[in-house]
Amino acid sequence: MEIKIALAGNPNCGKTTLFNLLTGSNQFVGNWPGVTVEKKEGRLKSDKNVIITDLPGIYSLSPYTPEEVVARNYLIDERPDAILNIIDGTNLERNLYLTTQLAELGIPMICAVNMIDVVRKNGDTINTEQLSKRLGCAVCEISALKGTGIKETADLAVKTAQSGEKMIPQHSFCGCVEHALAHIEEAFLHDLPAEQQRWYAVKIFERDGKVLEKLNIPEDTLSHIENDIADCEKEMDDDAESIITNERYIYIAELIKECFKKKKKGGLTISDKIDRIITNRFLALPIFAVVMIIVYYISWTSVGTLLTDWTNDGLFGDGWHLFGNGSAQYEQAQDNFAAENIFTDEVKATVEQAVDADVIGAAEILDAIDGGAFADFDEAYGSYGEELAACGYDISGIVDPAVETMNDTIDPADYGVWVPGIPVLVETGLDNINCVEWLKRLIVDGIIGGVGAVLGFVPQMLVLFIFLAFLEACGYMARVAFVMDRIFRRFGLSGKSFIPMLIGSGCGVPGVMASRTIENERDRRMTIMTTTFIPCGAKMPIIALIAAALFHGAWWLAPSAYFIGVAAIIVSGIMLKKTKMFAGDPAPFVMELPAYHLPTFGNVMRSMWERGSSFIKKAGTIILLSSIFIWAGSSFGWTDGVFGFSTEMELANSILGKIGSAICWIFAPLGFGEPTAAVATIMGLVAKEEVVGVFGVLDFVAMTSLAGYSFLVFNLLCAPCFAAIGAIRREMNSAKWTWFAIGYQCCFAYAVSLMIYQFGLLFTGNVNVLGLIFALAVFAFIVYMLARPYRENVKLSKKKTLKV
Amino acid sequence: MLEFFQQYGGSLIVGLIVLAIVVLIIVQRIRERRSGKSSCGCNCAECDACRQAKKKRG
Repeated sequence: MEIKIALAGNPNCGKTTLFNLLTGSNQFVGNWPGVTVEKKEGRLKSDKNVIITDLPGIYSLSPYTPEEVVARNYLIDERPDAILNIIDGTNLERNLYLTTQLAELGIPMICAVNMIDVVRKNGDTINTEQLSKRLGCAVCEISALKGTGIKETADLAVKTAQSGEKMIPQHSFCGCVEHALAHIEEAFLHDLPAEQQRWYAVKIFERDGKVLEKLNIPEDTLSHIENDIADCEKEMDDDAESIITNERYIYIAELIKECFKKKKKGGLTISDKIDRIITNRFLALPIFAVVMIIVYYISWTSVGTLLTDWTNDGLFGDGWHLFGNGSAQYEQAQDNFAAENIFTDEVKATVEQAVDADVIGAAEILDAIDGGAFADFDEAYGSYGEELAACGYDISGIVDPAVETMNDTIDPADYGVWVPGIPVLVETGLDNINCVEWLKRLIVDGIIGGVGAVLGFVPQMLVLFIFLAFLEACGYMARVAFVMDRIFRRFGLSGKSFIPMLIGSGCGVPGVMASRTIENERDRRMTIMTTTFIPCGAKMPIIALIAAALFHGAWWLAPSAYFIGVAAIIVSGIMLKKTKMFAGDPAPFVMELPAYHLPTFGNVMRSMWERGSSFIKKAGTIILLSSIFIWAGSSFGWTDGVFGFSTEMELANSILGKIGSAICWIFAPLGFGEPTAAVATIMGLVAKEEVVGVFGVLDFVAMTSLAGYSFLVFNLLCAPCFAAIGAIRREMNSAKWTWFAIGYQCCFAYAVSLMIYQFGLLFTGNVNVLGLIFALAVFAFIVYMLARPYRENVKLSKKKTLKV
Repeated sequence: MLEFFQQYGGSLIVGLIVLAIVVLIIVQRIRERRSGKSSCGCNCAECDACRQAKKKRG
């Protein structure tokens, strides 16, 4: 027989960490409230008959936000066999408030005091035996993070569920409240099972709207009950809800006095001292900026780049020298050969002429020639060679045969142990079995080219994910949410909007789902619309590609993309808040800052793998299919007016080229009005990594650094992938709002890219007057929207109960 | 016939493998979609909204 055990507790008390330990799952764990917005189910590792349900964190059973409704509805309607109530030992008093409510449900319950290691470290003591006696249920000590006490707790929870022993609340309220509760039970609840009557009575006493609606109490009974409640309120000189709250806290105060001994009373903890600097009014933002710059710098230019270069050029390239032995000599031989046969005076003179004529990429090629490094020249020539030829500065007549000769004469295997790359190995294998040319090209250029281009950036992403996981786990990101709340609130925005943004830096889908923590419907919609502006993991390869191809691997490109995302959210928030659709009071934001701690190696690695594995899985599925589609689209086309297939098809004649040419004019004002870039942008809707995948199959297009940055920004801010659009559709629950969100994102992205490109042209001297006028008009509109007064006063108002 | 297989046997096998991979991915994608999973790789299959959508689809 199956047993259902629900994990309940306050937000951020460690439920999901415990859930992962109990079930062996890998659910995302974060140390800010709202990480779990839906209940999740898994089976107990040691007993598959036991179903564990991880509920969203709640402070009480009087729900205000949708995820609190999810938790309460599950407990009341589905009534699990037992509740495993997780209590944060470092915040005993607040956590016991929910415990008193859970006890009233009449469901068998055990309590697990989590973070007991931190409690002990602080020198505090919790008398769990006494606590158990006073609460009327078993209480165990655990540390979900360290994994201590988990098995005992699980066994006890299963035993409690099997016993079916209903929980009897040990606390009682003052005389007049108990009198009213007894009256309520007698008047209306006597048909309900005995163990459930108490909770419903308390809720009726509190005039809980949802409970009253559910019970559908006859009018006369209700007025009878109302008299009792009113009498009690009169006697206690308070409203019913406050009376119950006060009574609970009186009981909790007694419990704390008996069961909890604090070592230090008052004084600042280490976390408090750190917070004085980290969350300082003036230092917080600069510190955040510096931290993110360091994170991206290390991920993008040091460790990450080394690994990515190896993956791109070695694993998915020609190959690599084992342990790098022989690489320097091989490169030197190439440089020597190039100096004599490729970097000739004729080539140099042609490129210099191209530089004078402002041909895109000519300066990069000339720099490489001057530098004398063949590898740099090869990269620049690969990107811009065709552009040079198209502008009448063709050097391929000298370069191509020379490179061919060089490849024939200089064998990397002569300089050390040479390991061929995957494309080389596969191509050789296919040649050996006499594979037909088109199939070979499909596998090597289409599948390996497309998938390899995306997978090539995995190392950089994994390094970035390690840093983000560390920042989240140590408690810093929670502080950032707190700091951003202070800034958001100034603009009349909900600070809660920052939580989805934090989650969205991994993947936009859970980011969009995390918007459920926002009870204000208008703020929620606005957050859904703007969350995907933050660069998710899938957008990282686009940033890395543009940085490597057009900015010589500049370290600042990635943090600039991140800060553009943050700025886009703030600017959009301010503008939207000033429209009739989104005007209104900002929602209150309550958040508890966890104590700083050094995260365990395992947790950081798991978090990194959670994000990274989905990326790799996507490369092997969606990206692979899309790459085949792109390859087929570029191989089928019209040659001399006849439709056909050729592996040598010119892009301009192919289906993909025709589609790209038909739509590329849209992007011309943004600087990348070119078929391949247009196709890459459209394919980004399938998955953002596919933008890179397209370039992997079709070769990177020549564009200026400015156009490249504009391309990057557009792809970062425009409509997200289909998966995220699906999430937006589910969360908006309206096709109209979904289309509005997509339309807004695309328009905003277009406006920002237009301004970047057109204003950037001012500095390069190639001003496009018409484009500049449009860019100025867009800029003026945004400034007007930012400066115009709010439609309504921005102030906190009373909480609103959500209808779900 | 034998000559055809000698010439194109390798291509046929490789082509079939590629086709099988593509079919497997499509079947897996359809299954995941039906079970409410998102292509993002996050575990959306267990969320209520997905379940309700699945119920609606029958």
